[in-house]
Amino acid sequence: MAGSNGSVPTLDVENLQTYFFTKAGVVKAVDEVSFSVQPGKVLGLVGESGSGKTVTGFSIMGLVDEPGRIAGGHIKFRGEDLVGASEDRWQQLRGNQIAMIFQDPMMTLNPVLRIDTQMIEAIQAHENVSRDEARQRSRDALGQVGIPSPDERLKAYPHQFSGGMRQRVSIAIALLNKPDLIVADEPTTALDVTIQAQILYEAQKLCKETGTAMIWITHDLTVVAGLADEVAVMYAGRLVEHGSVDDVLDKPLHPYTHGLIGSVPSRNKRGKPLEQIPGMTPSLLNLPPGCAFKTRCPRADAACETAPDVTKPDGGHRLLRCHHPHLDELAEVPA
Amino acid sequence: MSASENPGGETSIVDLRGISKRFVKHLDLAGKIAQKLGADVREETVYAVDDVSLSIADGEVVGLVGESGCGKSTLGRVVAGVHQPSDGMVSFRGKAMNEMTGLEARDAALKIQMIFQDPMSSLNPRLRVMDIVGEAPVVHGVVDKNGAEEYVKQVMLRVGLDPDFIRRYPHQFSGGQRQRIGIARALAVNPEFLVCDESVAALDVSIQAQVLNLFMKLREDLNLTYLFISHDLGVVEHLSDRVVIMYLGRVVEIATTEALFKEPNHPYTKALLAEVPRLDARRRTFEPVKGEIPSPIDPPSGCHFHPRCPFATKLCAESQPILREIAPGRHAACHLNDG
Ligand SMILES: Nc1ncnc2c1ncn2[C@@H]1O[C@H](COP(=O)(O)OP(=O)(O)OP(=O)(O)O)[C@@H](O)[C@H]1O
Ligand SMILES: Nc1ncnc2c1ncn2[C@@H]1O[C@H](COP(=O)(O)OP(=O)(O)OP(=O)(O)O)[C@@H](O)[C@H]1O
Ligand code: SF4
Ligand code: SF4
Ligand SMILES: [Mg+2]
Ligand SMILES: [Mg+2]
Repeated sequence: MAGSNGSVPTLDVENLQTYFFTKAGVVKAVDEVSFSVQPGKVLGLVGESGSGKTVTGFSIMGLVDEPGRIAGGHIKFRGEDLVGASEDRWQQLRGNQIAMIFQDPMMTLNPVLRIDTQMIEAIQAHENVSRDEARQRSRDALGQVGIPSPDERLKAYPHQFSGGMRQRVSIAIALLNKPDLIVADEPTTALDVTIQAQILYEAQKLCKETGTAMIWITHDLTVVAGLADEVAVMYAGRLVEHGSVDDVLDKPLHPYTHGLIGSVPSRNKRGKPLEQIPGMTPSLLNLPPGCAFKTRCPRADAACETAPDVTKPDGGHRLLRCHHPHLDELAEVPA
Repeated sequence: MSASENPGGETSIVDLRGISKRFVKHLDLAGKIAQKLGADVREETVYAVDDVSLSIADGEVVGLVGESGCGKSTLGRVVAGVHQPSDGMVSFRGKAMNEMTGLEARDAALKIQMIFQDPMSSLNPRLRVMDIVGEAPVVHGVVDKNGAEEYVKQVMLRVGLDPDFIRRYPHQFSGGQRQRIGIARALAVNPEFLVCDESVAALDVSIQAQVLNLFMKLREDLNLTYLFISHDLGVVEHLSDRVVIMYLGRVVEIATTEALFKEPNHPYTKALLAEVPRLDARRRTFEPVKGEIPSPIDPPSGCHFHPRCPFATKLCAESQPILREIAPGRHAACHLNDG
C-alpha cells in the first residue's frame, strides 16, 4: 500500500478521449478529460444522463467496445499507462486491483451459477487460497453489504434476490479482493437510504483501512456531499468543473453546476417552485462548436461561440471550463 | 358529486380499507434459465401489501415512502385499479369500487390516472404523440374526433411540450419530455387523482426540477390530488402535505410532512431520516444497518421491523403492533406507543 504524502496517485487520467465512430458520425463521449485520485480518496463524478460518466468508467476498466475506442490520452494506474495495454494485462488487473460496480448488477452476476460459486471463483482467480477460506471470505462479504442469513444466501441463484439485493451482491464481489481502485457506477440509486448508508459505510471503511481509491459515479449530489473528497462535474463529454467537495458545493462557479445545486429540493423552500435549468441535454453526435452548455446557459454571450479552455479560477487546485463563471461566489469570504 | 366523511371528518376522494395484495412470485428470466439447467427453484407467495387503510383528502398530496420491494407500486396500482386487491375495499368519492355500476366504474377509472417510473417502457414506441395523448379522450367522449388535434395541442401546452411535435414518436424526445408525454396522456381524460410512481426517479436533477414544478403547477391549476410514490425523501418533503411510510407491506407511520420530519415516531422512520443524505452533510461517517435485513417473501413475525430495531423487546417478535392514532392526525404502528 502506498503512503499518503508525495506518493504516486492510484489513478491519473490525462486528456482522455474516448470516441464512438458510428455510421451517423463521431460521438465524442469523453473528450479531453483529466483527473487523478489519491489512495484512500473518493472522487465523485456527476453529470446528467449521457454526459459520459459510464464511458469514462469503462475506459478506466478497459471495457470500451467497438465502435468505440480510446482516441487519445493516458490512463495511469499507479504510474503504469494502461492505454494500449494487452488484454492479458487488463484481465490480471480487473476484479483484483481494479474493480467496477456496474449500473446493472447482472453485468457482474452470472444467472446460471450459484452465488458461492461465483464469489469463490472471483477470489481463487487471483489468489491461491483454499475453497473453505474463500467461502468464509465470501460469507463475510455478503454480511458486510447487509445480506441477511449469508450462509443460506450463498447457495442461492441471482434471480432469488430482489433487484436491490442483487446490487448488494455485486458490490460484495467488487469488494472481495480489496482492490486498489473501485469505479462505482450509480450503485445505490435504487436503494432505500438505510441500505444505501450501509453500502457507503463499507465503501468508506475500505478506503480508510486499505487505502482503496474510489470513483463514485452518480447524479445525486447529496451522496457526493456525504462521501466524496473531490467532485468532477461532467457535461457533454467534458469536465466543466473540478475541485474539493466543499469548494464546488458551497461555491459553484460554472453556470451548469450552479443550476444543478440550485435545483436540489432541500435547497429550495418547501412547496415553492424549484430552481430549474431550462432546455435539455444536447446530443453528443456532431456537437456544434463553442461551449456545449450555451443553449441552456443564462450567462451565454458571443464569447461562448468559442469553446472555453481549462482555467484555474482561484489560482489553486480548482479547474473550470467557462468564459463567465460565477466569480462572485469566490468573493464572498467566509468568516 | 357525493362526498364521504372519513374518520378525521374531512372530505376524502380515495378511501382504502384493509387492502391486501398477495402475489405468487413467478420466475423471471434468470429463474427460468436456472430452472432449465436443473437448479432447485420454486414459486413463492409474496405479501406485497398487508392490510393497509388510508384516506386521502380532496386536493391533498400524499407521499408514499419505503424501501425497494415494500409494496409502494403495488398499493399505487391497486388505487389506480390496475390490480384488484386480494382483500379489502377501495372507495372513490364515497362509493365502493366493487359496488359501482359499469358506467360508474368506468368514470372512476378515468378519474384516477397513474404515471409510471419509466416513460420509455410505458409509452407505445409505434404511436405518435397525437395518438398516445388523444386516443383515450376520444374513446371516452371527452372530445370528439374532429376536435381531437386541437385538444391534444392544448394538453401539450399545459405540460410544456411544443405542439409542433404532435406528430413525433416517443424516441424523438428527451427523458424529461417523454415523462411529460406520460403526464399529458394522464391529464387528457380530466383526472382528479394522480398516482405518480417514482415519476421523476429516472430523470436528471435539472430535468427532475422541471417535472416537479409542473406537478405543483398542475395541482394549483386543476385542483388535483396526488399519491406520490418515491424513495427520495428530499422530493417527498418538498412536495407532500402528508407522508405515509411503509415497511414490508405494512404502513408503519402516517403524519403531516412537517410533523414527520420534525419528530418521527416509528423507529424505522427515525432510521430513514437519520440517513437522508443532504447537501450540507459533508464527508459523513455512515452507519451500518443494525441487525438483519429481512426478505418480503419470509417476513419476520410480530413487528416486521424487529430484527433491525434498536428498541425491540420480546413482545415485538410475538405480536404485531396495530397502526393507531397517537396524536390528532398522526398514526404509528409501534409497541413503544402502548405505554
Ligand atoms: N456503443 C455506443 N455507440 C455510440 N454511442 C455510445 C455508445 N455507448 C455510449 N455512447 C454515447 O456516449 C455518451 C455517454 O454515455 P454514458 O453511458 O457514458 O453516459 P452517462 O453519463 O453514464 O449517462 P447515464 O447517467 O444515463 O448513465 C452518450 O451520448 C451515449 O449515447
Ligand atoms: N406482478 C407481480 N408478481 C409477483 N410479485 C410481485 C408483482 N408485483 C410486485 N411483486 C412483489 O411484491 C413486492 C412489492 O413490490 P412493489 O413493486 O410493490 O415494491 P415497491 O415498494 O414499489 O419497490 P421499488 O421501490 O423497488 O419499486 C416485491 O417483493 C415484488 O417482488
Ligand atoms: S462558457 Fe458561456 S455558455 Fe458556457 S457555461 Fe460559461 S457562460 Fe455559459
Ligand atoms: S414494535 Fe417493537 S420492533 Fe417494532 S418498531 Fe416498535 S419497538 Fe421496534
Ligand atoms: Mg451511466
Ligand atoms: Mg415500485
